[in-house]
Amino acid sequence: MAEIQNFTMNFGPQHPAAHGVLRLVLEMDGEVIQKADPHVGLLHRATEKLAETKPYNQSVGYMDRLDYVSMMCNEHGYVLAIEKLLGVSVPLRAQYIRVMFDEITRVLNHLMWLGAHGLDIGAMTMFLYCFREREDLMDCYEAVSGTRMHATYYRPGGVYRDLPDSMPKYQTSKWRSEKEISKLNRIREGSLLDFIEAFTDKFPGCVDQYETLLTDNRIWKQRTVNIAVVSPERAMQLGFTGPMLRGSGIEWDLRKKQPYEVYSQMDFDIPVGVNGDCYDRYLVRVEEMRQSNRIIQQCVAWLRENAGPVMVDDHKVVAPTRLEMKDDMESLIHHFKLFTEGYCVPEGEAYAAIEHPKGEFGVYLISDGANKPYRVKIRAPGFAHLSAMSEMVEGHMLSDVVAVIGTQDIVFGEVDR
Amino acid sequence: MSDDKVTIEVDGAEVEAVKGQMLIEVTDRVGAYVPRFCYHEKLSVAANCRMCLVEVEKGPKPLPACATPVMDGMKVFTKSAYAIGAQKATMEFLLINHPLDCPICDQGGECELQDLAMGYGSDVSRYNDRKRVVKDKDLGPLVSTDMTRCIHCTRCVRFGEEIAGMPELGTIGRAENMRISTFIEKSVDHEMSANIIDLCPVGALNNKPYRYSARAWEMVQRAAISPHDCVGSNMHAHVLRGRIKRMVPHANEEINETWLSDRDRFGFEGIYSSDRLLQPRLKVDGEWRDIDWEEALQTLADKLQAAAADKVGILASPSSTLEEARLLERIAAHLGTNNIDHRLRQLDFADQENDPLIPTLGCSIAELEKKDAILMVGSDVRREAPIIAHRIRKASLTGAKVCFADQEKRPYHFDVEAQTTGEDLADQLIGILSTVSMDAKLPKSIAAMCKGVSASEEQGRIANALRNAERAQVVIGHNALRHPRSSTIRALAAAIADVCGADFGVISEGANAAGAHLAGLLPHRGPAGVPRKSAGIDAVKMNARDLDVVVLFGLEPDQDVVNGADAVEHLCSQEFVVSMSPYKTYALDSCANLQLPIGTFAETSGTFVNCEGRWQSFGGVATPVGAARPGWKVLRVLANLLGVENTKYQDSVEIRDELQAVLGDAAVESNGNSFNASTSAAADSTPRTSTIPMYEVDGIVRRAVALQLTMEARRSRGEPV
Amino acid sequence: MSKIKGYLKTFLLWELWQGLSVTLRNFFRPNVTVQYPEEKTPQSYRFRGLHALRRYPNGEERCIACKLCEAVCPALAITIESDVSDDGTRRTSRYDIDLFKCIYCGFCEEACPVDAIVETRIHEYHMEAPGENIMTKDKLLAVGDKFDAMISADKAADAKYR
Repeated sequence: MAEIQNFTMNFGPQHPAAHGVLRLVLEMDGEVIQKADPHVGLLHRATEKLAETKPYNQSVGYMDRLDYVSMMCNEHGYVLAIEKLLGVSVPLRAQYIRVMFDEITRVLNHLMWLGAHGLDIGAMTMFLYCFREREDLMDCYEAVSGTRMHATYYRPGGVYRDLPDSMPKYQTSKWRSEKEISKLNRIREGSLLDFIEAFTDKFPGCVDQYETLLTDNRIWKQRTVNIAVVSPERAMQLGFTGPMLRGSGIEWDLRKKQPYEVYSQMDFDIPVGVNGDCYDRYLVRVEEMRQSNRIIQQCVAWLRENAGPVMVDDHKVVAPTRLEMKDDMESLIHHFKLFTEGYCVPEGEAYAAIEHPKGEFGVYLISDGANKPYRVKIRAPGFAHLSAMSEMVEGHMLSDVVAVIGTQDIVFGEVDR
Repeated sequence: MSDDKVTIEVDGAEVEAVKGQMLIEVTDRVGAYVPRFCYHEKLSVAANCRMCLVEVEKGPKPLPACATPVMDGMKVFTKSAYAIGAQKATMEFLLINHPLDCPICDQGGECELQDLAMGYGSDVSRYNDRKRVVKDKDLGPLVSTDMTRCIHCTRCVRFGEEIAGMPELGTIGRAENMRISTFIEKSVDHEMSANIIDLCPVGALNNKPYRYSARAWEMVQRAAISPHDCVGSNMHAHVLRGRIKRMVPHANEEINETWLSDRDRFGFEGIYSSDRLLQPRLKVDGEWRDIDWEEALQTLADKLQAAAADKVGILASPSSTLEEARLLERIAAHLGTNNIDHRLRQLDFADQENDPLIPTLGCSIAELEKKDAILMVGSDVRREAPIIAHRIRKASLTGAKVCFADQEKRPYHFDVEAQTTGEDLADQLIGILSTVSMDAKLPKSIAAMCKGVSASEEQGRIANALRNAERAQVVIGHNALRHPRSSTIRALAAAIADVCGADFGVISEGANAAGAHLAGLLPHRGPAGVPRKSAGIDAVKMNARDLDVVVLFGLEPDQDVVNGADAVEHLCSQEFVVSMSPYKTYALDSCANLQLPIGTFAETSGTFVNCEGRWQSFGGVATPVGAARPGWKVLRVLANLLGVENTKYQDSVEIRDELQAVLGDAAVESNGNSFNASTSAAADSTPRTSTIPMYEVDGIVRRAVALQLTMEARRSRGEPV
Repeated sequence: MSKIKGYLKTFLLWELWQGLSVTLRNFFRPNVTVQYPEEKTPQSYRFRGLHALRRYPNGEERCIACKLCEAVCPALAITIESDVSDDGTRRTSRYDIDLFKCIYCGFCEEACPVDAIVETRIHEYHMEAPGENIMTKDKLLAVGDKFDAMISADKAADAKYR
């Protein structure tokens, strides 16, 4: 009899379902996976080391590019760590803005995940619908920061600018009549908050549509139910966080367990799964979108009522306004020094973690008292999840690898850093 | 506890201090930083910025730490709310009249006012009134002024009075109308005046040639050694994208303290002159043709190999690095020629056998300020070595009697005990010697000279000063070295030193005369001063003898060699002249056959041995201009092509270490002072002065634009000033 | 009863028909895509796109070569050389932005004390040859001149937030 050998197969790094640059070396027995060996580092950009060579503020933009589908959440973790070291407390309005945009980011991330996950396992319509709603949220990003993706909006001490009180509008063209344009612009007539509120009003209906398409769908269930089951104990042992952990039935959410900013003021629920399979994680994430929507609504309501500063009033850390800078000596000096050298952070170390859409995103900072961090360590949730890849796909079919990559919600910007 | 010790408490910690010490010295020592503008450890205390206010227990008000002497049991708080409040208030007042210039101010980023405003000031202004404006002064080509930015710390004023000895700047007016000014409209002309740039804590006094060209944070700081005099001042070159933007002092208490002479600070401008030779070139049928390095060095190697051994002459600048000197010597030894010299401006070589191993000052530079009496022979020390002049001034301020025997009377910024003048330096020295040598045993030849000479009154005072001093010093300078009777002068000066028990030394030419001596860049001596079997011809004879190949290294014959015009004419008639120089000049174009661009001091790594015998190695700081290469690399390849053994050096450090091994103990003893007091046969007796102006000592300085615009340079060129 | 219902749904492809009804409803909705480039999506006045150097209304360059933008640039995309200009003021002799290095964070604009360097809402630009990614001072000034009205309006709209 001929000797039977396991077959080794290379998956990625250019595979469309690899979510970027994942390379998996799969050991197969027929079509059954024996072992999966993820190779990471293809998107390594030395973000941590880059941050260690620059004044604190200059690295905010690099945080956007870690997990490039949940930009502001990355920024949030970083600025929280700096604020912890500096000992500054952020104005309440800035805290609400941050929470609101964290949740917008969560929706953005989950929409991206849902679209890609659906597309990976055969539901192409999902991708189109998800991107349709993403577009509105991208507009929020752009209205507030000037970019659709890499916002550089959160700053140690608050957020860069207050929310704009107008939204950009569609212009008439030969393709659309005046009437059609005004219909499109209807939700854009007011401020950014009006726009967001209008979005939150319609969004639960959108989620219903997604669920109609997927939740009961037999193909979807065949591809996800009982795929990659992780027991609660094992999920904890593997260092899972976020929906991956909650999908296995453990109710752990930093927004509830270690509330930061104004999450303690928010009314929202934490969905948990029962079986710990891909389907449960899907349900958890979809429910999270609904909960995020609730939080956004609460933030909008508060922000409408309460005006105020969005940056701390301490120009040793935060640059003065442009008017002040052009007018008085102290402000000009502080402006000059902050933009060239930055500020010095007291000696010490801090770990700040936030409930990132993918799990616990933490930034560990050591300061030696200089104007740039001595050490930055980023705890990327995706890294822990990816390391469980082999265990999760073992015994499944080759096509289930795609489902598992999707359910892990892997983004290589943060895994490789 | 001894009587002069007191114990005080700084921020709760007990500290011992010396009675009479100012508080700020104690707080600095224990690391409790107190902000300050006017206080500077090299200057007197003025206490006029009030930034260093601290809280002293039972003090009626906050006290300035720089002007408050310590007292036993004093309790000082530098970080208390009271002290910080006082500092904050002071800072607010300082900024009231400060213009919003940061973005266009060169000091921005390295400004003490900015730093302290960040650290100790408020973050927002409460002042809404108009600011005062002060008209800028024209202080000459080196220092730019923006007097509105001045905070009246008076560091520059005190520098002029206390360090330079020339009060060029002062304060006029009071209160709101106070200004820093020259009393009449004039430039600052002192040879170290540009140090006020470093002293100025704000952007009021700035570096004029550097104006607006770079920011402190974008430049790379690299250590360099000054190549313009034998002091070897430590500097930092600030380099932006491979190009030197400015020089600042690198504090070294043993040599230049925190100061830098203007020549060292601005001389580097010559590196970027349009005169730079950018490519090796060869003269073919009277036309210059650019060639590549390979061809150039092969041509030279062929010429050298074809020439008869004693028909090869090598002349090198005394500012060549030790490594370059070593390689030149090795190449000469390989070729079998002893015609090698670096003493380009010397006329009299009669006594060269009695030279010490290396020319040194006879004491360290720092020791100079502890001398009781100093006799400078034929030395315009302020122009030859400003840092040495500064040390002499410090000695003079503590009571040392400084005397001069020189060709003419020159202005000094300190008290001169006695000064004799006259064209013939030897006569003056004989006069002095005749007064001191009554009871001493002198060599016969010298004693014969003194016979029947009667000293003038000035000479007598010099003799008395030296004889009565505990620590006396005799130094001969450039004018004496270049004197046609330099051998006699040196012997006489050494005899005076011997008789008076004084140390004896020279201020040598160039940056590395000592290194050139060690490496054996001499016709009569090889490395470590070992005498050669047969002496080669010296620099002067080389410009009179017919040779097959003449190698000029780092020099311009018309300017750097004595009787330059004759030298050029002679070189023109030679078979093959190769010039290795950073520059192309009219004279070199006419007399040379092959020109190789080598790097200046900033573009090469190497070692200078200064006038104390101190070895100071440095790395290259700037990117070489054009195809120029470091001299040692050019010579290494040449040596390889000639087949000189063991010349596969990887870096200049290897060459230095090799020389160090060859020197053995000589390198250690090189600080010795062993002039033999013997005389030479009377050389050319027509006395001539050959003064080289301060800003024309070497090719780099001659091309430093800003220096050439100074009053000093214009005066030396005879321009109306 | 529910078991029967379940079987019925399974055999009648109930949930698939439900899904198809969603797609069918969307099919008749007005489309959300736009006919680019004739038609564009809305763009905020805060948009951070191509850079420009601005001038004062009298035509004088705003930039004073303070180099704050160069210092604050996290990507080291800006290269400035400065010198004394003919009229004795501080000016740039070179101002290059490498668009390949730039991460469009907007810090240069925040740092500029004289509103000289700005990021405009222009985002449709391309390069064809190596080296075109370098925006030289002339190119930046040209962008500033050409779109001066738009830039002024955008910056004026945003002024109250900064």
